[in-house]
Amino acid sequence: MANRDRVRFNVGGQLFETTSTTLANAGRESMLGALLDESWNPGQPEYFIDRNPACFSTLLDLLRTGALHIPSNVPEKLLYREALYYGLLDHVRGAKWGPFDGNTLRLADSVPGRAPGDGTAIRGAPDGGCCVAHGSVVHVYNWMLEERRPISLDYQQVNDVGYIDANSIVITARERLGKGDGGMAVFSAATGELRHRFRVEHGRQPKSFTAGALSLAGLDDHRIFSSCKGRLNEYGIGVWDHNTGQQVDFFYEHPGCSLGDADKLQWLPSKNCLMVATLFPRTDNCFIGLLDLRDKSIPWCWSDAGITMNLEDKRVLHAIAMEDGHSICVINQYDDLGFIDLRAGNTNSAGTGVRWSSRSKLMNQKVPYEESCYPKLATHNGQLFSCMNDSISVFSGSEHVLTSTLRRSYGGSICDFSIGGDRLFALHNEENVFDVWDSPPCPII
Amino acid sequence: MNSQSQRRKNFKIEAFKHKVELDPKYAERTWKVLEHAIHEIYNNNASRLSFEELYRSAYNMVLHKYGDKLYSGLVATMTAHLNKIAKSVESAQGGLFLEKLNHKWADHNKALQMIRDILMYMDRSYVPTSHKTPVHELGLNLWSDHIIHSPNIQARLQDTLLDLVQRERTGDVINRGLMRNITKMLMDLGSSVYQDDFEKPFLDVSACFYSGESQQFIECCDCGSYLKKAERRLNEEMERVSHYLDAKTEVKITSVVEREMIANHMQRLVHMDNSGLVNMLIDDKYDDLSRMYSLFKRVPEGLSTIRDVMTSYLRERGRVLVTDTERLKDPVEFVQCLLNEKDKHDKIISTAFNNDKTFQNALNSSFEYFINLNNRSPEFISLYLDDKLRKGLKGASEEEVEVVLDKVMMLFRYLQEKDVFEKYYKQHLAKRLLSGKTVSDDAERSMIVKLKTECGYQFTSKLEGMFTDMKTSEDTMLDFYAKQSAELGDGPTLAVQILTTGSWPTQPTAACNLPPEILTVCEKFRTYYLGTHSGRRLTWQTNMGTADIKATFGKGHKHELNVSTYQMCVLMLFNSADGLTYREIEQATEVPALDLKRCLQSLACVKGKNVLRKEPMSKDISEEDVFYFNDKFTSKFVKVKIGTVVAQKESEPEKQETRQRVEEDRKPQIEAAIVRIMKSRRVLDHNSIVAEVTKQLQSRFLPNPVVIKKRIESLIEREFLERDKADRKLYRYLA
Repeated sequence: MANRDRVRFNVGGQLFETTSTTLANAGRESMLGALLDESWNPGQPEYFIDRNPACFSTLLDLLRTGALHIPSNVPEKLLYREALYYGLLDHVRGAKWGPFDGNTLRLADSVPGRAPGDGTAIRGAPDGGCCVAHGSVVHVYNWMLEERRPISLDYQQVNDVGYIDANSIVITARERLGKGDGGMAVFSAATGELRHRFRVEHGRQPKSFTAGALSLAGLDDHRIFSSCKGRLNEYGIGVWDHNTGQQVDFFYEHPGCSLGDADKLQWLPSKNCLMVATLFPRTDNCFIGLLDLRDKSIPWCWSDAGITMNLEDKRVLHAIAMEDGHSICVINQYDDLGFIDLRAGNTNSAGTGVRWSSRSKLMNQKVPYEESCYPKLATHNGQLFSCMNDSISVFSGSEHVLTSTLRRSYGGSICDFSIGGDRLFALHNEENVFDVWDSPPCPII
Repeated sequence: MNSQSQRRKNFKIEAFKHKVELDPKYAERTWKVLEHAIHEIYNNNASRLSFEELYRSAYNMVLHKYGDKLYSGLVATMTAHLNKIAKSVESAQGGLFLEKLNHKWADHNKALQMIRDILMYMDRSYVPTSHKTPVHELGLNLWSDHIIHSPNIQARLQDTLLDLVQRERTGDVINRGLMRNITKMLMDLGSSVYQDDFEKPFLDVSACFYSGESQQFIECCDCGSYLKKAERRLNEEMERVSHYLDAKTEVKITSVVEREMIANHMQRLVHMDNSGLVNMLIDDKYDDLSRMYSLFKRVPEGLSTIRDVMTSYLRERGRVLVTDTERLKDPVEFVQCLLNEKDKHDKIISTAFNNDKTFQNALNSSFEYFINLNNRSPEFISLYLDDKLRKGLKGASEEEVEVVLDKVMMLFRYLQEKDVFEKYYKQHLAKRLLSGKTVSDDAERSMIVKLKTECGYQFTSKLEGMFTDMKTSEDTMLDFYAKQSAELGDGPTLAVQILTTGSWPTQPTAACNLPPEILTVCEKFRTYYLGTHSGRRLTWQTNMGTADIKATFGKGHKHELNVSTYQMCVLMLFNSADGLTYREIEQATEVPALDLKRCLQSLACVKGKNVLRKEPMSKDISEEDVFYFNDKFTSKFVKVKIGTVVAQKESEPEKQETRQRVEEDRKPQIEAAIVRIMKSRRVLDHNSIVAEVTKQLQSRFLPNPVVIKKRIESLIEREFLERDKADRKLYRYLA
């Protein structure tokens, strides 16, 4: 009776014996699941499969143990192809890396760039793929880090990119004078096809515009935000439904609060507000504010207006709202972290209100050399990440203690990094190479 | 070197002009294999097929870019099969039609599953990138297009389904399992297929059916049985949904039944002659009422319809009740009647109307409305309490007492003129306390506590003062007798109740002339009291006292007479005379004429209590009458209580007087309220003052706007307020 459960395969001439219980892990929606389904005369003494036995062996072990071990004689790409044949690709992806933790990251891969310099942004996809905005083209990679068809918005300078979901990429691009192009659109990540454009209307008149920083509202909220610069001083924040592409709102710039030039947008669900940070304005001052779109008010803002700047002064170069929604973390040119409390009223008074932690003094770091990139910040599951020069620092705990440093490639300093699909992607400035970091699957014991 | 370069020249490397492709014939051959397999699957011959081979074939076609060919081939093959199936379903006779359809649907599903299995790779890689419909969904769409929407099937299917429902509604038993399979099929094909091909026509037909049926029912049924039928239909429809329709259909079909059977006939139902809502209320038809409530609750305006009818019925019934002159004769009966009415409807609301708050409010507002229609209600409620506290609650347990008091408090809450009630309550309480007639001190105090929690300290402070007086009096008398017993000898025993002026509803009446025996004791008490309490003044309220006297009649019959102080004064006169004229009595006693007449009436004209004899014999006392000691008086009791003829209810002039006193008392309260309001607001217009004063005082009474205006004028005269110079409607507060 025990034999009932046993299944024999002849794969490319090599015999395998396993059990239907093991094969059940493949699921009904896989080739093996269908093969053993009762509608297809199961119970044969032996099933012949005309495929590569080494790969089958690896995949069978994956079904047996849930862990992926690729023997050195099996090329990874071949294994992926075989997994796709059996319908087990998702199993492979799930076993390839573990849940994200900034302190266990290992370098998974380095992908060389297409051209030197000029990398604008890198974004991680929810499934572990990524895309790199490079000049006027966005290079898209699946989670196996194979490049897909690149996408572009009429070959305009790309300002920002983002994933709506694993298969949809939204791009913002600069408007070319006199062309009425540029703007913002959604593309298919798989095929690079244009899905739809986002248009801006002022007084029911469609207008061309330059779209800057992007932010998505969240899982159940279909809104997408972007900073917009129009031709006739129509500056502000545009709001669209990312499913339909319809414009749902527009927040016009208030005097003294530059929004159209914003470098960073972030939706804060707990406050029902959008954080806008304009850190490199052409005129005026640095501005960070929370926008309430319902009544078009700015319930909280901060600015460095009134500080006489000299080179040694600490300048806010990037900002991110912490996940608890209580504070905004900022970083300066010396890699110092600073915090601005969101709960304490309107701290409009001249750059005070930032609580700096003087890491630079402790680490006795030199004033950064020329041609470096501005530092950037990210948060994930309570951990805080900052990039400076060619390394990424990981800060953990409520006191933001430095716990790890990631440094690897030789492509110069890091110009952007992103966390998505349980992976961290870091884009280097000079060679346009990007590093992929992920956490290993759970250890054996 | 030369030769080498020469050779290089000859050796030409050609770029591939074409990608290496599979032999097109191979693609055709592979498709033939797959096509054959699809045929075999539809013909139930799949057991001879090799899944691995078919899967690999489909994989190869996609891999070598023949995905288009594979997909379009699939569509064509499946369509051909479905057209064949359509023919076979169409040819099915009568009742076999659904069976056949169901059978073929099961086959198609199984085939579709197997086809999807072999084309799984295409589904995974070709379909998403080329914007095609996945195989399973494609199979369902083709089924809808070629079977369900085939011209020979669509209408027939719809008619068959609707006919089955109709047959079930008229009592036939149908094959629910088959029905469920078919509706399940429509749902599987997408909610729009289910809705368009079944649900919409189903709802239309149902609306039509129930519109007709309700018309028929309403012509021949009474309200109760109509509601029963409607409820049964509603339950049937819900049951039908649970057996073989989409759960989402439930709200839709029930709303059809609700609209057709209830909403469209609501007014007619509640007002139905002899069986409508009013009759149900009168006859306490809890089941019917409960059914009406739960059914009407389902439709908009349903509950408000019931509520409105109930309210107007209650108001009308209450109005009749409180203005019925017959009932007004007995206040206790009157209040009991109100309480019964309240109990009855409370029970209806709790058993049939789910204790609905809005219904409770409607009941309360109705009571408030009609109780205040009769301005004697406060008096009657107090009289009811008086009756209960005098004797009605004798032997009742503490809980029972509480229940009665709580019920009365509920009526009290409805009163607008709470201050009038207070007046009467005070009077009645005073009488109870002074005559020692109260049944239970606890019950009295419990009532005071209830009034206090309802209306505040102010309301009851004087009532509480009365209790304190009673206690003090008792102590004083004990002390008096302890200290003075030697001096008093065996004269008459005196019991004095010392009442604080102001706490008690006393009328300043001249004291009558007391007999000398009593006067001596009274004087002794006065000396004692003023000796222990300096700075006080004692006035005798002879109109409120009682006396026990011993009398000996003819043949040595001895009786103890329990009489009022006035009566005692009169009787004592007969110790020294056998006959006295009215004028002589009046002169000797100085009892006020009205009281004297009453007391003589009770002494001479009541049968069994006639210790005096009057000449001439008549019912009424005239000033010419002569009174004699009735030597022949007999009674089987040793103790004889001679009551005074007093109307329990107030007579018309008394009522006027009380009313006047109430109005008088209201004046300072209204003025105080006006001053309070103006002090905080400084400037206010007339209408706002009236509104605010009414709001502040409504817990005690409803002030009349005319009276408020008069009070404002009086305050202006006394320079508490002034009119604004510019705007005459504005008043200013003068500090």
